[in-house]
Order: sequence, then C-alpha cells, then structure tokens
Amino acid sequence: MTAVPEKTSHSVSQPRPNYLGVGGWFYAGRYSIERYLYILHRLSGLGLILYLLLHVIESGIRMQGAEAWTALMALFTSPLFKFFEYVVFVGFIFHALNGLRLKLTELGFFLGKPAQPVYPYDSSLKRHRPLTYALMALAAILIVLGASSILFK
Amino acid sequence: MRETKLWILSLSCTVLIVVLLGIHFAVMHFTPVFYGQSVEKARSFTELMARGRDALQMVVYILLLAAALYHGLYGLRNILLELPGSQGAARAINGGLLLIGIVFFVYGSYVTLWTFTH
Repeated sequence: MTAVPEKTSHSVSQPRPNYLGVGGWFYAGRYSIERYLYILHRLSGLGLILYLLLHVIESGIRMQGAEAWTALMALFTSPLFKFFEYVVFVGFIFHALNGLRLKLTELGFFLGKPAQPVYPYDSSLKRHRPLTYALMALAAILIVLGASSILFK
Repeated sequence: MRETKLWILSLSCTVLIVVLLGIHFAVMHFTPVFYGQSVEKARSFTELMARGRDALQMVVYILLLAAALYHGLYGLRNILLELPGSQGAARAINGGLLLIGIVFFVYGSYVTLWTFTH
C-alpha cells in the first residue's frame, strides 16, 4: 500500500506531491499517448473483470432448464444488449492488444539498445512508439470489423 | 520474489486466455464465420448442452475460467493495493479477492461439470 504524504503548502522549492489518488489516473500532467492508454487499460480491465463475474453467474442459468435459458438468450438479442456485447468486445480487443504492448515492454522488447545521452536525446519510449501505433491501428481495424459482425447481424 | 511469481503467473495466464478465449469466441460469437451457423442456434439450449458434453470443451472452459479469474483479480488487486491504506487493509484485499476467485471458480466449474454430465 502507498503511504499518503501529508499535505504541505507549496513553494517554489518544494516538489509537487506525487500522490494524486484515483484522480491522478485521469490527470497527472504532461500527458503522452501512453498515459491515455494506461487509463484506458485500467478502465477496460475493470469493465472486463466485472463482465466475467456476471458472465459466470449468467452461465449458471442453464441449470434452471431450457425455458429459463431461452428467455435469457431472447433478452440478449435486444439492441441494448447487442450494444453492451459490442462494448465488451471493444474493451477486450483494446485490453488484449495494449496488454501485448505492455508485456513486450516489460520483457524489454522494442525498446532499442541503451545509448549515450547525446543531444538531441532519444528515448526508449520514442523507439517503442511505432509498435504502439501499429497495435492501436490493428485494434481499430478489429473493432470496426467486430461492429459489422456483432451489431449488424 | 513472491510478487515476481504472481506476475509471471499472470503473464502466463494472458497467453492461455488469448488461445482459449479465441476458441470461445469462435464457438459462441463468430459461428457464422467459423461454422456457418447462426449465433442464435449456437446459443440455443440444445446446442449448448450438446457442446458441453464434450470432454475437451469442458477442459477448455475450466482452464479459461481459472486463467481469466486469476488474471482479472490479480489486476484488480494491483489497482486496489495502490490506493492508500493500512497493512490490514492490504491483507483484507488479498483475502477478499482470493475468496471471490475461489467462489466463482467453484461455481463456474460446477456449471461446466453439470453441463458435461447432463
């Protein structure tokens, strides 16, 4: 657990408190694309775990018999549930591909080789960015294709 | 070291999830593409029970349930442990999430086994 620093009055010499709480997920200043992906990864992850738990409960309805199951499936064909299903699909595709990017980063891939800090400075984040763009483009393509399969069938 | 092991387990689960969820998507959500069968028919009670009697499918779903629950609850644990709180709160989070994981795994596995035997 993270200790919460005591609030102090700011002055030029004092650093900014680094604990921003849940609000810091959404605004921590000096944003880059990776920061937005971090927020989306958390939100999609929370949504997916909630969906998984509901999905396990929903799957158990089959034990009440064919009638109860058929009634449940009929509910899922409504436009509202089709939309929810698509939101889950979007969340999954994004979470999976951004998760792949994070795992590759954590394992040291696509970061380039260490180099002397000579101006103009390069960073591993910049060397990593083409992969970020490629994976997000792939996510966008799959999300569009999923729309045609889930929403319009 | 304990945290490293938990992280490696979560990492391993992601690989399993991609493969097994791919199978689940093909069987339940993209049946017109993979089986030439409507989604409604694939989700019908008769089809569901017929597929559930397959031993391979039973193993796939129990493994998927275990991997998804572990990966999801591990991620939730990391988020919750970042929030301010005491060591007691951290223990409560660990214990509570473990309990949720066990309850849902037992229930989900029971549903899968029930389908297999009916």
